[in-house]
Amino acid sequence: MTLLGEVVRFTFLSLSITSIYVLVAIGLSIVFGSLKFVNMAHGALYLLGAYVGLFLAYSNSGVEGLLASYAPLGLEWGFGAALLLTPVVVGVLGIAMERLIANPLYDRPMLDQLLITFGALLIVQEFVSIGTGPSGFTYDRPAWATGPIPLPGIGTASRWRIYVIFLTIALLAIILLFYKYTDYGLAVRASTEDAEMTRMLGVRITRPYLLIFAIGAGYAGLAGILGGSTFNVDPQMGIEIVIPALVIVIMGGVGSIRGTIIAALLAGVTFSAVTELWPSMATASIYILAIVVLTLKPQGIVPSVVLEE
Amino acid sequence: MSTDFDVGDGTTFSWERWDRLKESELFVLAAATGFVVLFPWLFVRAPVVSDLLLGYGTLAKSIIIWSIFAVGFNLLLGETGLLSFGHAAFWGLAGYGAGWVAIYSYGHPLLMILAGVVLAAAFAAVVAPVLLRLHTVYFAIVSLAFAQTLFWLSREPFNQWTGGENGLTRMEVEPLFGGVSVSEPLPGVLGTLMGSWMYLLIAVSFVLTIVAVHRIKKSPYGLMFKAIRENETRSTFIGMNVWRYKFAAFVMSATVAGLAGALLTVDTAFVGIRRLWWSASGDVVVMTVIGGLRTLFGPVAGAFVYKWFGGVSDGIPQIGQFWLMTLAVVFAAIVWRYPDGIWGLFTRIGGLLRSLGGDRT
Repeated sequence: MTLLGEVVRFTFLSLSITSIYVLVAIGLSIVFGSLKFVNMAHGALYLLGAYVGLFLAYSNSGVEGLLASYAPLGLEWGFGAALLLTPVVVGVLGIAMERLIANPLYDRPMLDQLLITFGALLIVQEFVSIGTGPSGFTYDRPAWATGPIPLPGIGTASRWRIYVIFLTIALLAIILLFYKYTDYGLAVRASTEDAEMTRMLGVRITRPYLLIFAIGAGYAGLAGILGGSTFNVDPQMGIEIVIPALVIVIMGGVGSIRGTIIAALLAGVTFSAVTELWPSMATASIYILAIVVLTLKPQGIVPSVVLEE
Repeated sequence: MSTDFDVGDGTTFSWERWDRLKESELFVLAAATGFVVLFPWLFVRAPVVSDLLLGYGTLAKSIIIWSIFAVGFNLLLGETGLLSFGHAAFWGLAGYGAGWVAIYSYGHPLLMILAGVVLAAAFAAVVAPVLLRLHTVYFAIVSLAFAQTLFWLSREPFNQWTGGENGLTRMEVEPLFGGVSVSEPLPGVLGTLMGSWMYLLIAVSFVLTIVAVHRIKKSPYGLMFKAIRENETRSTFIGMNVWRYKFAAFVMSATVAGLAGALLTVDTAFVGIRRLWWSASGDVVVMTVIGGLRTLFGPVAGAFVYKWFGGVSDGIPQIGQFWLMTLAVVFAAIVWRYPDGIWGLFTRIGGLLRSLGGDRT
């Protein structure tokens, strides 16, 4: 393969990994920045997204646990339907999470939020594990989402990676436009700057919060499918994504969407590069990156909000 | 609680005396010793009680080792309010340190423990300058990042020294004193109560840890930790060197975690890679919170509940698979509604009984 071909292949690889990170991290980042709510349970949404997608798309014969006697289990609506429906389902679950878990905790110390949402993540993880068994599942993507696309004069690129990247760009554009140009977005941005003042001016921020939480949840759910078909699907995947996602949010600077995207890019490129050169250190490379970045800039790459206790 | 100097006539029992007595170091020493001596007997050998609890010797040792770990962890989280999600690093590293001494030098149990503790403390001192500049979530996540980095490093790049996925084996734990192996039973009544020399070693470490942590908590030095927990900015304003106290708390906590990790290696003569995995950090967080933050014996109760649930319920069909789920629910509920944990429950019941008995303090 030519050098150019290698470069193109690596670019697509790292961008597709970045995409999954950014889709999970964006919801976390907005909620963290505007509500000062740190949500470890965001990983549960990613986990649920992967499993909901799995059961919407296929008939799964590998089901263990309490549901083992119902195997094969699933609706067999196909991969495309799962891609469309899962974000909606997980978005609704996100609304439930906001009302039941997040809302009562907004005024609590960050330490409590961290611990309770960690507990919630464990509960969901165990729920899934008991229901469907601790071992993993795989996504069999249909023909339209697999195989290479020929790029004339350069080589080929994975069709699936290209889809993932463009889907992510479109979704990012939607949330950024929402954030910048709608009244709801304005309310959220205002309360990121100064929540007390915003409320004092008579802006009702509960609805915008709920909506932004649901969108973040939907994105995490979609990322569950994308990530599930790129990495793996098992009950541990929630915590395995939320830690890098939190690392990315913190590295980027809490409250800054731009920072989150930059940090996700950095993490995606680092992860892919280390995967090529030294696969066993790929996961650790993100942590090392975070340690280096936060040692140099303790407030993150794009510091915007000063966090207090 | 009353702190009256009027003690009554000196012969009859009074609650004021009791309140002062139970805070004294000698009482804590006696209580910890009493507990740690009687616990394995009650748990493993006593009639009725041990049958009800389904306890066994290995689990008793593991509970006390994890108790030490949790007490050390609570010294950081409970006293200074710093949540570390990376205590697995100290726990695991000390385990390896103890193993390395046994393999490359001489496996005297005390030497192994010393090596483990020193390694854990040294690692804490090295990472502290990076970690202690960060707050709450930043601190939690970056401490986790350090621990996970250690895990991946010891999994492959350094598997020559750590044994990678297979763990560190082929270590020889030498006799303790005068040719007594740690696995030998203790003589006489001690043997009936506590079992092996290994348990005695763990028990002594436990008592020393409890007394040391108690002394730190009661000292003016420990008061500084609380000041930092309550308000760090204000602590700076009144002229405290906040960083120095946080550093001290962090290294002390890591040292105790290291002691526990090294003890586990001496006990099992094996170090598995999973000790560095984040779930060890998660376990100790759950134990400490369930038991009761900011209390001395709370983490011990938490470690008991956690290990007992995990170790015993596995053997019971139907409910075995729900144990972690149950604990997670209890954990979330405790943080949410009842931050004093199990130990707080005990204190409250005690207080209730006292008020029934006519004590109004």
